[in-house]
Amino acid sequence: FTTSLLLGTTMTISSNHWIMAWAGLEINTLAILPMISKSHHPRAIEAATKYFLTQATASALLLFSSMINAWQTGQWDITQLTNPTSCLILTSAIAMKLGLVPFHFWFPEVLQGAPLTTGLLLSTLMKFPPITLLYMTSPSLNPTVLTFMAILSTALGGWMGLNQTQIRKILAFSSISHLGWMTIIISYNPKVTLVNFYLYALMTTATFLTLNSTKASKLSTLMTTWTKAPALNAALLLTLLSLAGLPPLTGFLPKWLIIQELTKQDMA
Amino acid sequence: MAVAVVLLSGAPFHGGCCRHKVFLSLLGPLLSNSKLYSSYRRPGAEPKKKLSWQNADFSFKKSIDHLKTQLSLLTKETQDYLQGPGGHPLSQHVLEQTRVLWQFRSQEDLNKWVISSDVEIGGKSKVYIKLGRNNQAALLYGTLNTEVPRDGETKYSGYCSMRSRPAVGSFNRKKYYDWSNFNSLYLRVRGDGRPWMVNIYTDPYFSHQKDDLYSYFMFTRGGPYWEEIKIPFSKFFFSSRGRVQDNQHPVWLDKASFLTLGLTIGDKVDGPFQLEIDFIGLLNDRAHREEFAYETYDKN
Repeated sequence: FTTSLLLGTTMTISSNHWIMAWAGLEINTLAILPMISKSHHPRAIEAATKYFLTQATASALLLFSSMINAWQTGQWDITQLTNPTSCLILTSAIAMKLGLVPFHFWFPEVLQGAPLTTGLLLSTLMKFPPITLLYMTSPSLNPTVLTFMAILSTALGGWMGLNQTQIRKILAFSSISHLGWMTIIISYNPKVTLVNFYLYALMTTATFLTLNSTKASKLSTLMTTWTKAPALNAALLLTLLSLAGLPPLTGFLPKWLIIQELTKQDMA
Repeated sequence: MAVAVVLLSGAPFHGGCCRHKVFLSLLGPLLSNSKLYSSYRRPGAEPKKKLSWQNADFSFKKSIDHLKTQLSLLTKETQDYLQGPGGHPLSQHVLEQTRVLWQFRSQEDLNKWVISSDVEIGGKSKVYIKLGRNNQAALLYGTLNTEVPRDGETKYSGYCSMRSRPAVGSFNRKKYYDWSNFNSLYLRVRGDGRPWMVNIYTDPYFSHQKDDLYSYFMFTRGGPYWEEIKIPFSKFFFSSRGRVQDNQHPVWLDKASFLTLGLTIGDKVDGPFQLEIDFIGLLNDRAHREEFAYETYDKN
């Protein structure tokens, strides 16, 4: 399944044709489903079902968008997406794939039902192909729609994560919030989006691996992990502060760059 | 839908006067009192006099009062959200080791529970609930009758149960509770020596899991003394449609949304039964380290 995930991701990020990109996304979706439902617990099956339904809908919308563009312009090139209807449908498809507001409801539930390692893959590797497609089509997309979704994602990701007691759900809302930051700048400076994504993936990987080693899935368990692995717990503290974007940690850098770029665009 | 379009479009061929007849014939079943499905009714089920939409109350004043109630509930929920998880500070959530979920001191507490018996399928058991002496407990009592209803399809009968109503927030939305800090169910009861079954129903999202139930047994001692029964959640076994499943899973309590607790008696012994319940709560028993009691080995 891991090989299939790598295959699907590679296909999507290296493709120029919409059909290849779609095929890669479908391979990714199908490969991650057995990993989510590995334990066969009813909640894990529920998470896998929710993931499949949302991702299949998003893939269908993506295909629909590319077909409209192919019908209007006669070509299937990803970077040549010019039809406005196609752009709008693609934006909603990518938002659904990533978990941007208002298509974010599935993400915390799916992450909660999946094991921690699969949650890591869902938060990092599965985000890579849609971000790549967004990067390639960013000049054609409507900045207003993207900004609207980004602001809502950042705000809702922060507010809804406030009273959570399950760590996987907290990280899901953190992911939604970070995706908001990535999306708001993609129309103006896509490279900052990529920097933000790579740093986010690095910090999230560190967080998930630490939680996996201490088997902590809820806040009360996290409160007592310092007795078992104090150094690891201290590292987790710094990683979480970095995820939050606290200077002088690394996580502050993408936020600084984004705000700087938005200031140049008279938006901040 | 397609049939309606065809019928209505065919009406002009017969003249416009027939169109309203076609319309009435389509809506006739809705307007009349006849059922749209089979008229078979299980023995014990009350005949439906009114359709469900005919029971709706369209009073304007009542709807305004209802809206005011729901808005006040929403305000309270927002205030609780600002305080912390479950309306309590985070420190309380983390340090909490016991919590009382249901205690029976007034009629309001009894109204949070629903009693039922095999009368639903045509049986003859009886069950009642009332407040005990000095309003200090709930008394669930009745008579169990295992006589099978003679409808040609039921093979077993004889059960009585008491189930909690699921918690709803404002505008009838599901309330989510996190009970993952606790590992045991704690009941203070006084029984009559009969065994009971404790059932937990976690409201699943998809309909194909609607029959899933987690159950365990509660053996009561008869006698004048109250007993405090601790049932670890690791002991609850998983069943679906009344059949214990081969693939066993522990009950997840992180999303206790529509979680309902039920107490059922069905020990196939005819006769009276009685159970007094003081309170039902949750406990974090630090001495209990078991994660799950069944099927913990690796399966092929």
